[in-house]
Amino acid sequence: MRAYIAAALLWLASGVSAAPQAQTGSGSNDARDPPGYPPVVAGRALQFPADHGAHPDYRTEWWYVTGWVTDEDGVERGFQVTFFRVRTRIGEDSPSRFAPRQLILAHAAVADPAEGRLLHAERGERALDPLAGAATGHTRAWIGNWALEWSQDHYRAIVDADDFAYDLRFDPAGPPLSNGQDGFSQKAPDPQHASYYYSRPQLGVSGSLRVRDKTHRVTGRAWLDHEWSSAYLPEKARGWDWIGINLSDGGALMAFRMRTATGEATWTAGTLRRGDGAPRALAPAQVAFIPGRRWRSPRTGTEYPVEWQLDIDGRRLALQPLMDDQELDSRGTTGAVYWEGAVRLVEDGREIGRGYLEMTGYGERLKM
Amino acid sequence: MNAGLRHVFLASLARRRLATALSLLAIALGVALGLAVQLIHGAALDEFGRGMRLVAGEADLQVMGPRTGFDDALYVVLAQRPEVADASPILEVEASLPQRDDILRVFGVDALRVRRVQPALMPVPEGEAGGEFGIFAADAVFLSPAAQAALALGEDTDVGTGGTLAVLAGPREEHLRILGSVPGAGRGQRLAVMDIAAAQQLFDQVGRITRIDLRLAQGVDRDAAIERLRPLLPAGVELLAPEAAASQVAGLSRAYRVNLTMLAAIALLTGGFLVFSTQLLSVVRRRQELAFLRALGLDRRTLLRGLLAEGAVLGLVGGLVGVALGYVLSGLAFSIVGADLGAGYFEGVEPGLRFEPLATAAYLVLGVAAGVGGAWLPAREASRVAPARALRAGDDVEVWRARPRWSAALASLGLALLLCLLPPLGGVPVFGYAAIALILVGSVLVLPAVVRLAMRCVGGVGSVGGGRSVLLRLAHARLAAAPGQVLVAGAGVVASVALAAAMAIMVSSFRTSVDDWLSDVLPADLYLRASSSGTSAFLTPEVIAGVAATPGVSSVQPVRYDTLRLDEAQFPVTLIARPVAEGAAVPLVEGDAESVRGADGLPPAWVSEAMADLFRVAVGDTLSLPLGGAPHRFRVAGVWRDYARQHGAVLVELADYRALTNDSRSNNVAIRVAPGVQAEAVAAALQAQFDGRNFELAAPGDIRSKTLAVFDRTFLVTYLMEAVAILIGLFGVSTSFAALATARRKEFGMLRHLGLTRRDIGRLLALEGALGAAVGVAVGLAAGGAVALVLVEVVNRQSFHWSMDIRVPLAALAAFAVALVLLAAVAARLSGYQAMRQAAVLAVREDF
Amino acid sequence: MLELDGLAKRFDGQSGRALFSHVSLRLAPGECVAIMGESGVGKSTLLNCIAGLEAVDAGSIRLDGTELVALDDDAFARLRRRSYGFVFQAFHLLPHLTLAQNVALPLWLLDCAAAEAQQRATTMLAQVGLADRADDWPRHLSGGEMQRVAIARALVHRPTLVLADEPTGNLDAERAADVLELLLGSLRSAGAIGILVTHSRAAAARTDRVLRLTATGLAEEAAAA
Repeated sequence: MRAYIAAALLWLASGVSAAPQAQTGSGSNDARDPPGYPPVVAGRALQFPADHGAHPDYRTEWWYVTGWVTDEDGVERGFQVTFFRVRTRIGEDSPSRFAPRQLILAHAAVADPAEGRLLHAERGERALDPLAGAATGHTRAWIGNWALEWSQDHYRAIVDADDFAYDLRFDPAGPPLSNGQDGFSQKAPDPQHASYYYSRPQLGVSGSLRVRDKTHRVTGRAWLDHEWSSAYLPEKARGWDWIGINLSDGGALMAFRMRTATGEATWTAGTLRRGDGAPRALAPAQVAFIPGRRWRSPRTGTEYPVEWQLDIDGRRLALQPLMDDQELDSRGTTGAVYWEGAVRLVEDGREIGRGYLEMTGYGERLKM
Repeated sequence: MNAGLRHVFLASLARRRLATALSLLAIALGVALGLAVQLIHGAALDEFGRGMRLVAGEADLQVMGPRTGFDDALYVVLAQRPEVADASPILEVEASLPQRDDILRVFGVDALRVRRVQPALMPVPEGEAGGEFGIFAADAVFLSPAAQAALALGEDTDVGTGGTLAVLAGPREEHLRILGSVPGAGRGQRLAVMDIAAAQQLFDQVGRITRIDLRLAQGVDRDAAIERLRPLLPAGVELLAPEAAASQVAGLSRAYRVNLTMLAAIALLTGGFLVFSTQLLSVVRRRQELAFLRALGLDRRTLLRGLLAEGAVLGLVGGLVGVALGYVLSGLAFSIVGADLGAGYFEGVEPGLRFEPLATAAYLVLGVAAGVGGAWLPAREASRVAPARALRAGDDVEVWRARPRWSAALASLGLALLLCLLPPLGGVPVFGYAAIALILVGSVLVLPAVVRLAMRCVGGVGSVGGGRSVLLRLAHARLAAAPGQVLVAGAGVVASVALAAAMAIMVSSFRTSVDDWLSDVLPADLYLRASSSGTSAFLTPEVIAGVAATPGVSSVQPVRYDTLRLDEAQFPVTLIARPVAEGAAVPLVEGDAESVRGADGLPPAWVSEAMADLFRVAVGDTLSLPLGGAPHRFRVAGVWRDYARQHGAVLVELADYRALTNDSRSNNVAIRVAPGVQAEAVAAALQAQFDGRNFELAAPGDIRSKTLAVFDRTFLVTYLMEAVAILIGLFGVSTSFAALATARRKEFGMLRHLGLTRRDIGRLLALEGALGAAVGVAVGLAAGGAVALVLVEVVNRQSFHWSMDIRVPLAALAAFAVALVLLAAVAARLSGYQAMRQAAVLAVREDF
Repeated sequence: MLELDGLAKRFDGQSGRALFSHVSLRLAPGECVAIMGESGVGKSTLLNCIAGLEAVDAGSIRLDGTELVALDDDAFARLRRRSYGFVFQAFHLLPHLTLAQNVALPLWLLDCAAAEAQQRATTMLAQVGLADRADDWPRHLSGGEMQRVAIARALVHRPTLVLADEPTGNLDAERAADVLELLLGSLRSAGAIGILVTHSRAAAARTDRVLRLTATGLAEEAAAA
């Protein structure tokens, strides 16, 4: 679901907010008929390990890890790292090593209640081996010394920013969890708007996390998404709400809602796996997002529903944030403004899981 | 000093309005010229420095190579180093524009990296035309506001966003879409930005970049980083601190700047002389008045202070007027000749006029100093005179009996000679300028003695003839007895004539030498070049072959230019590769053009005088030149004269260059026409053959006249300053004679009693003026010759590293001298006009 | 022979108040007169008129029968060169000329050869008692000595007429007597006409005649008065 950020990060280069471009809707024309990009079609089964790697023909792709960690003193924090790959279709036949065929962008954040707000950093580069790139065949995306890669039996994420840094190892507890129909994840009633999408829930986290000058040994649970597509955001959609939750019983819950400017859902879907059971795709009728308490950002004035009621497969669940202010305000650099933060999943007053909530498009329409 | 006393002194300035006005004007002109030079170059340098900083951005270090760049693999290596936090690769191309003479600096940047290191170079898309990846598009270009403004001039095509920009890329003309601007570049920088991959491909530079700007990781010391990174660099590529790059450019124009500042200083000095003249005369005229004040009880110190205050007021008011005038002049210069005063040092920079408090204050202080300095000797003289004696009438000759100061004169001239032997300080010929100042001082000191000598000669002539010779006798007697009068009137003349003569000799020598040099370096019949300037255009071997095959062409000699970095402390030198042995002659001053390899097998190289000086190489030395990314040894076979590149140039055989670099391109080609064939016919054939290819064809005559036009424009400002100095010198003659004539009213009245007609008095004044000026001019010419020698052999040699053959423009100098003597005679006669009025006759009775 | 006839001078030319009028005088060669009068009555102006340095408003001036009033400025200057000598109260020696050169100055003006001028000047200096000081400078002289040089200068070219304006005004009594003696003696021996303007009765008494200038003319005073 991180494509929004990819678009925003692109404008990092121009120094102009993504917002003005978004007004014209040119992106949605592209979405209807993405020239020169392969379409996402149903019925293509995911092939591992090849599909862990990059798919450079498709327009947009990302690897996205979120999680909760606890340090040696029992302090809980959230973290997030995303690597994007974007195919520009520029300079595809250029002999220059600088040819901007593929752009690699990365975004990392730490949610520490002691800070009161997110710490975040981003990077963007054209793919240029060995400085930045996204490998095919296995998971490996990197920009300089920031990296997310698979080695032997685990993932490793390394991020080093001014305010924070981490070097985390993620051990998968089971096979990848395909979303939608065997990995074909529809985003709108029109199946043109779809992606290939799988998740790796219940990743065991271990490693070190530095916040400002203090480094902690941490352990915890994380969630990885890998998604690629050529046409993503439906025309009417203004943004989306998304969750990825590691359930306490070892299960996993992914759900999202595409939303219009007036807040109506144009599409909802999800994936639920209970305990060690088999995953089930949730149809639009089985997923409903009901906004609860709102929080207004003192920086941007944008209002976000930071607490939610979820109707999932007939169960009534609630989302509670680790802290209210997990708005990511990068107007100074990329111009992107959205809410992305650590949340608890509560059922009948009891915590049944932890994960991340992403809310986009509450300020301006997104460009895809 | 109380108000009454202040009135006694300052009112005196108001009483002698003409002299006061002229002194004011002289100081104002000196201050104005000096300040203007300072302001103009200050602004240009600031803008240039800003440009360098802007381009360097937040870089801690810059990796720079030759003009044609270096392998971009180095970027990949450096970007991965732990010492490096950020590396931003840049391909800078001086792009030629079709149908335009100027060039446009195009920066190929990685927009995702440039933001972190040189934010000012960020391309900013405007509108929708580019789509979301517009900044990466292969045909997209972003223009700085100054570039947009400059390109819009005289063009009908739209150069705003959405328009197109045509550039020359090799032999092709390419059209780029203007997708936005580079707002960070600011108003003064003419540049364009595009994607680095697009630029590499467009300008046929794939695999090459010209610069990498580095931001170092936190805690990494710059010197340590240089030490660790330098071994990774190929030959000819250097690691520089951004300040070093900026200071190299500043250094390049410094000599020219200092030269102009010196001229302004001399104008100011001449203004000081003028204050000296008028104050001395005023003190003489007020001898009795001042003695009377002393008799009334005014103490020596107060008198001295009062007279100095007169000078200070002159200096202050003159300085204020000068400051105002300086700003006006600078404004005019910016709009008319450009910031480099026509010298061509600051291309692509458009500075604006700013208020410079420090320079303004400094020149104001200099103006006051000139006023006080000029008033100092007369004030001291007046305060030392015994009142009783001064109260007696007449007897002003006492004041004018200047003693010759042989020892002081010889000492200063001798010291000047010694100073000429010293090397420059920081690239500026400080001692040369000191020598020039000493020559001027020495020549003024020697003036009384020369007056005596001259009067002895004139006396010999006068005693023979009868008739009108009475005027000659009177003038002679006056000047012989009162050489101080010549000193006062002539000191300014000496300084200004010396300056003007020196500049005239220097410029004439320079121009003749440049002219000769142009004949040497432009021996062919036609020149074909890829474009007037810039690195983006070049000639391929096919083009050269096409030229050679054109009917009527007997031979072709391609030339390739590049720049080489030999040393991180020096500006890069120009590399010229062309056939030497069978090609055009080299304007050698040392060595020979034999292209044979010595026993050591090293290929020959010929260095320019500047390079020989700057890099301390001599004929026979080995020289290591980084060609094609690796050092290669050459044997220095000769030193040649080069007026085009003051940072140095080295010439090698084209065949050697091609063998070492595999670069078969050329920038231009010299074409010799077969005997009996008209060059124009061949030119027409070439025009037809390369129609639409943006090549330029030039005959040596055109190049020569263009070059000389640039030369003349460069010296335009110096002519202006000379004229001002001369004007100030004539003011000196005029004011001193006006004041003297007033002081000598009784003398002239008595002579009228004895039967001199009014016209005779006028002639007497003219004669005295002419005689005094003649001596001043003669001494000035001699001093000017000496100063010219210092300028040619010391100042130019040390500032610009070039030699020239001395040519004295005898006819022009003679005409100038005669004109000046005549002007002085006229000035003296006009100024003495009131002495010829009837009322003066009655002055003989005004004793009580 | 100098003949003044009905000379009149006004303060600002024709329209102004009369300074003096009806001034008539006839002087033969060798004759020497003194002109006295109140301050401001126009004694010096009268001398200037006679010398052609100021224009008269009416009357005639004839020197040896030639009418001078009609002469233009340059012609009068040439006449002064040849026929006039002047002695000033303030001497007016040129400080940058030697004594001999100062004395030779009128001869130079008359195109006299340098050697002859020098010789005649030296002779003249000897006559005024400064024989050995020919090459000295004016600044080394006392007032009396300077006036002696001035007298030598006034007579060296043998003028017809010598005008002396307060020649002893700057000198003490003893020196004044000496200088006056020298001046009058020299005038007589040269046979020149002398006009002396003075305030001093003692000085006036030594001339042939004493005339008093008033607004209405020149009147003779008794020599004994």
